[in-house]
Amino acid sequence: MAELAVHDLHKKLGQTDVLGGLSFRVGDGEFVSILGPSGSGKSTLFQLIGGLLEPDGGEIRLGEQPIRGRRGMISYMPQRPSLLPWRTVLDNVRLGAEIAGAPDPPDAIDMLDKAGLGGYADAYPHQLSGGMQQRTAFIRSLLSPQDFICLDEPFSALDEFTRAEMQQWLLSLWEENPRSILFVTHNIEEAIYLSDRILILTDKPAQLLSEYHVPFRRPRTPDLILSEEFLDIRRQIARQLTAPHR
Amino acid sequence: MKQALRHSWKPAALIVLLMAVWEAAVRLFDMPAWLLPAPSAVWTELLNDWPSYSGHIGSTITLALGGFLIGSAVGLLAATVLHLVPGFREALYPLMILTQNIPVIVLAPLLVIWFGFGATPKLMIIALVCFFPIAVSVLDGFRQTDDDLMHYMKMAGASRGQIFRKLEWPHALPSVFSGLKIAATYSVMGAVITEWLGAKKGIGVYMTLASSSFRTTNVFVAIFLVMALSLLFFGLIRLIEDRTVIWKTKGRRERNG
Repeated sequence: MAELAVHDLHKKLGQTDVLGGLSFRVGDGEFVSILGPSGSGKSTLFQLIGGLLEPDGGEIRLGEQPIRGRRGMISYMPQRPSLLPWRTVLDNVRLGAEIAGAPDPPDAIDMLDKAGLGGYADAYPHQLSGGMQQRTAFIRSLLSPQDFICLDEPFSALDEFTRAEMQQWLLSLWEENPRSILFVTHNIEEAIYLSDRILILTDKPAQLLSEYHVPFRRPRTPDLILSEEFLDIRRQIARQLTAPHR
Repeated sequence: MKQALRHSWKPAALIVLLMAVWEAAVRLFDMPAWLLPAPSAVWTELLNDWPSYSGHIGSTITLALGGFLIGSAVGLLAATVLHLVPGFREALYPLMILTQNIPVIVLAPLLVIWFGFGATPKLMIIALVCFFPIAVSVLDGFRQTDDDLMHYMKMAGASRGQIFRKLEWPHALPSVFSGLKIAATYSVMGAVITEWLGAKKGIGVYMTLASSSFRTTNVFVAIFLVMALSLLFFGLIRLIEDRTVIWKTKGRRERNG
């Protein structure tokens, strides 16, 4: 079961209280985004879920298993593609499985084909464009054996056109291979367009400020962004983010 | 190949120019050959004296290669241990730098006293000379591992061993090769110096014999041989590098081209 439950998470880094009792859950097969100002402790949260840091208090569970301080329980896609330059695209997308000690994913070539990277299986990362590198990184996280994927602002380094293209592509791929996803971004539009639910965090020490259910049905298409309903949610969230909340 | 030619014509032209100046100066000032021979005389000697120096080249190559291999192996091993065992790097790195302040030429007589005139002290000296550039550049290579890649590996749950094998080691390969290239040129120099200390054969011996009898032209022949050997070693390693570090060389070529 890939259901993530974070309960009353506390973390201090040096003198700063980064997380001050954060609780939320991500259901099985759900796409949840975390929206918050830069430096609101989102990367600390990922490091806690990834097991790189130990929380000062609170619980993190994946299904029935407590995973605090345990590494390798989730699949991860970082902000920058972070592909190993000496490996071909094919060997890069197999890396997650390799680290986990799982057998080579048999559908690797198939997935690359679907991502429009079929002809690049034997290419090296520096031969790809930024968008292609990021697609490779996402396929790597999909081919990792873990059922839960954390995406850390994966499109923030891309230009506006590539970004829109990537969002559409991510959605179609995810709708075909549903996984539980926790997605961090500070782009409101992106959060609404992609997710089932949006969590908004307060400033440090971060807590859950509010939560939005995104009502749009899937599959979603880009013209959704211009609909009145979409703009309405966007306005609400923007207001919430700019309001002084403490 | 065309590109290599395009890039190398400038240094080649400079060398030709320097040679011409040298040749002209020797003729103009009527230099005696025992003081400074003309490049043309060195060249003629290089061609004619082959029978007398050819026997020396092989033993210098063997010596340099042996010392280089030992020094590189120990250097790589030392860098790996210093990097992987917590605390070793901090404790031993300054000591390593300190030992490099002892000129090898000073150690040489000591090693001869302890180990005699055989191959052992010679190999040790060459290995000592080669050890340092490799150990230092590999250690730096390990330390400069990309932060983003490291973060990904950790988040993906990689163990210490996996991080070393799959990330740090391949990441340090270009540094390994730059250390090897420096060590390779040092090894030839080291071999010649150790041959001065006492050997039956070798370019160093040929050089000592030539200089003690004021056959300066032959000293220059020896210098030329040392340069040629160093370049050969360097080139060989460069060749292996181009085949091994594909991702770097490919990128380099595409950017240049």
